[in-house]
Amino acid sequence: MARSGSPVRLVVALSVAAVLAIFLLYVSVAGGTPSIQPSQLKCCGDVALVGKVTGTPVGDGHAAQGLRFRLQDVAGGSASVPVVYRGSVPDLFKVGREVRLEGRLQGGVFVAKRDSLRTKCPSKYTPEKRT
Amino acid sequence: MPELGRAALVLCLGLALFALIGGAYAAATRRRRLARAAQNALLAAFGTAAVASGVLLAALLRNDFSFVYVADHTSLELPTPYTISAFLGGQEGSLLLWLLVLTGFSAAAVALARRTGPDILAWVVPVLGLVTTFFAFMLVAVSSPFATQIAPPDGAGLNPSLQNPYMMIHPPFLYLGYVGLTIPFAFAMGALLARRTDELWIVATRRWTLFAWTALGIGQLLGAHWAYVEVGWGGYYAWDPVENAALMPWLAATAFLHSVMIQEKRGMLKVWNMLLVILAFCLALFGTFLTRSGVISSIHSFTQSPLGGWFLGFICLVTVGSLALVMSRLPLLRSKTRMESLVSREATFLYNNLLLVALCLTILWGVVFPILTQAVRGEQITVSGPYYNFFLRIFGIPLLLLMGIGPLVAWRRASLRSLGRSFAWPAGIALAAGLVLLLLGAGSSWIGLVAYTFAFFVLGSIGYEFARGTRARHALSGGSWPAAFAELVARNRRRYGGYVVHAAIVLLAIGIVGSNAYDKVKEQKLSPGQTMAIGNYRLTYRELVKRNGPNATEYRALLDVRRGGSSLGTISSGKNNYRAEQQVSNEVGIRSDHLTGEDLFVIADQINPDNSVNFKVLVKPLVNLIWLSGFVFFIGSLVALWPSAAEQRRLASRYRDLRALARA
Repeated sequence: MARSGSPVRLVVALSVAAVLAIFLLYVSVAGGTPSIQPSQLKCCGDVALVGKVTGTPVGDGHAAQGLRFRLQDVAGGSASVPVVYRGSVPDLFKVGREVRLEGRLQGGVFVAKRDSLRTKCPSKYTPEKRT
Repeated sequence: MPELGRAALVLCLGLALFALIGGAYAAATRRRRLARAAQNALLAAFGTAAVASGVLLAALLRNDFSFVYVADHTSLELPTPYTISAFLGGQEGSLLLWLLVLTGFSAAAVALARRTGPDILAWVVPVLGLVTTFFAFMLVAVSSPFATQIAPPDGAGLNPSLQNPYMMIHPPFLYLGYVGLTIPFAFAMGALLARRTDELWIVATRRWTLFAWTALGIGQLLGAHWAYVEVGWGGYYAWDPVENAALMPWLAATAFLHSVMIQEKRGMLKVWNMLLVILAFCLALFGTFLTRSGVISSIHSFTQSPLGGWFLGFICLVTVGSLALVMSRLPLLRSKTRMESLVSREATFLYNNLLLVALCLTILWGVVFPILTQAVRGEQITVSGPYYNFFLRIFGIPLLLLMGIGPLVAWRRASLRSLGRSFAWPAGIALAAGLVLLLLGAGSSWIGLVAYTFAFFVLGSIGYEFARGTRARHALSGGSWPAAFAELVARNRRRYGGYVVHAAIVLLAIGIVGSNAYDKVKEQKLSPGQTMAIGNYRLTYRELVKRNGPNATEYRALLDVRRGGSSLGTISSGKNNYRAEQQVSNEVGIRSDHLTGEDLFVIADQINPDNSVNFKVLVKPLVNLIWLSGFVFFIGSLVALWPSAAEQRRLASRYRDLRALARA
């Protein structure tokens, strides 16, 4: 930046940068949400749950009882968790699709926040298939 | 056919390698003929990339499903325009487009720079050769669009979300922006390698930077509009990593466009400008890496392909190499002058730069935060809308204010008296507008009120600058006022084009604030004949209709809309069921009020078997100003980009001076 003859400016600039960096770190840690998969879901606290829809979804996102389905890890495996969700259901939601919800575990069921369901867009750069 | 495509790509790789190695050797040993041959190799590389692109395009148009790429991204039912846009609907095709644009820009830059900056050009060619080599290698060895198979009877089709006119032009604009940033980067590195650290590389690439920046800006707005009308959740920007990937280099390039003016005018900030052009280019590469690596969780589906590792390696190479080059040339990059006052045009540009870079790095931090927390704590922590919106306010509101202050402050040092004179009108307009808005109820969102007051300050400042300049021009040359205005703009297109772009950013800010801070949302389940109300609107659900489109079964709920007792006609909202792709997509209903800029946005969230529909309805004030800002932005950029004879003469004289200075 501008050439300075005094080290005071440099010290002030570095101090401001350090304060901003600490503030940034604090905001991102305090405002961040752990993003985990069903096998990592243990208890307590708000998390973003990422997984693959399994089983047959029952119910209705707009009804009081909500939409109920199970989520397993993206890579598969035996661990799965029951989910209850209320709100808009994306068009792309279906069995086998990767989804992300925010919410918390309550009594063995992951209760998702309203309208937090997001499905991954099956675009654009799909995995390699050819041999 | 596929053999021709593969051969063209292999030839392209060979030519790029020659431009890299032969060009570097020629530049280091000052061999003119070899340097010329390296330049010609870059021109020929464009030809080979065009042939490869032609082969893929022909295969798409012929529905040649023996090409794996064609079978994966098209179907017999797919309308022809989308068959063409499937060129960039997949990884291999989009990489080929990167290469095509890159070689095209490189060829054009080389051809143009032969006249303007031949001494730097010798080193620019190997830098462009390096980038071209990387992309050609990716297409030859890692991700070929010319893989073949036994042709299936039909293809898998194109993702329905991409079957929208915006998706035919949004990605190409982004590519023009991403790839365009390669040219100023290559000239910056060429200047460092040639030890020419004067302003020549900036002057030679000013239009390239402006063009890339404009394309990236327009591309993002097109993407936002696509998300608004097609994705159907009522928003246009979700701070998703793939969206941030385009925003970050645009912010860095915005800072660069402003700070180069300080270097041109005052010979300052040479190191800073180098760092900005490196940052912008690396962020363009980082965006391409993000969408191909699978390292970041996103609503967009990214592959875990081996491309990610290659890109990461290339980004590391470019970052480390270019920073090392800057470090090695530090003594040559020292500023000759110092900032004289903290209240001056250059100081406001500097504050603007710091805020833009801070916003850019804050977004970058948010994007990579999940990767960092995964590495440090073993679990990914993601940040979302509230984090980004917080920092957008922290940095964006002062940026808006600075946009109004900058044009009013003199270069070098501003006196209190001149400041008072310049600020009186814009500040008066802003205060009056703020008071009126407060009386109209805009105080329900204090951030909205502050943003609007600052927006009026900027508009006042722009108007004042145009009025002051026109008056001065009229006094000088006489003639009519419109002629004086036209002459004012024509004589300094860069400055006044820039002011028009500022006006576009103000419109964008007003639209974003209005549609977020003052919007209304209501969800309700309606059966045919039932009515719901939101704001001043009353919507009556009339019926559900079903029809067969060319490649989808379409369901539409028809609603009669009334406002204040008068009928506004019918709005339709529903879903398309795409047959080949076996996917459903939302087709929202939007009614725009062009007088107020407000939208009534209707989503048929869920269509039930008894023909009842769960509607989600939004009223979004001023949202159309966002799209209007795109046109104003384009016009402003065009004014700034448009060549003028007077400027060409100034440039030619500048080149002569700079070359004479270099020889001395």
